[in-house]
Amino acid sequence: MILLAALVLGLPAGWGLARWQGRQYRAPDLKYLWLIPAAFAPQLVVAYWPATRELLPPPAAAAALPVSLVAFLAFVWLNRGLPGMPVLLVGLVLNLVVLAANGGWMPISPETASQLPGGSAPEAAVLEMRIGEKDILLRPEDTRLELLSDRFLLPDWIGYRAAFSLGDMFVAAGAFWLLASPPRAPNPNRRENAHI
Amino acid sequence: MNKKLAQLIFLSNRINRQHVQLVVVILSLAMLILGIGAPSDGGGPTRGRLVGGV
Repeated sequence: MILLAALVLGLPAGWGLARWQGRQYRAPDLKYLWLIPAAFAPQLVVAYWPATRELLPPPAAAAALPVSLVAFLAFVWLNRGLPGMPVLLVGLVLNLVVLAANGGWMPISPETASQLPGGSAPEAAVLEMRIGEKDILLRPEDTRLELLSDRFLLPDWIGYRAAFSLGDMFVAAGAFWLLASPPRAPNPNRRENAHI
Repeated sequence: MNKKLAQLIFLSNRINRQHVQLVVVILSLAMLILGIGAPSDGGGPTRGRLVGGV
């Protein structure tokens, strides 16, 4: 949920910039929008919808996130010309790589997880247990590409505890950039000007 | 009069379409970053279920 802050901040930033430049704010011209719900569907089943989280057998559930991210990768690649999308693409690839390297889930260490709301002491942690939506509890020494795992914590002064990865930072920056750099409205006089 | 009414309807349709488009894009982007990102904001190691060997 912390990533939604990028949207919440990016939208007024883009709107304010458009107003300052004396033009109307417009949504980014995203193509192949239908790919997003299609790519999100596997995650809805295995991660977000409580009623279906337990339905799939573990191997199928573990495959769902990487498959979903590959579909998102297609969408982001098709829209790579938009501002912020290359940054978003970097974040997606980083998260996809670490997920694929760790059995389809985002690794988080017992020490980091213990600092989240509801977390128990690291020594009481049950390894390889799913926590949250997409994370799996792994010791750092058992984690592949540990640098890309959910190893960062929001600072205390924010008052909200969340762990995130390097890829998440790129995703947030890309989403903010995308919304804060809205496309310019097509100039109705462009054709006339072309003759000048 | 009819022309003005038609212009008004055209304008309101245009504004509505832009607003609807913006809402659709924002919702899609929310889904996109929720799908791409993988932060954890709670739960601790006591929730969820065991996953097969990594």
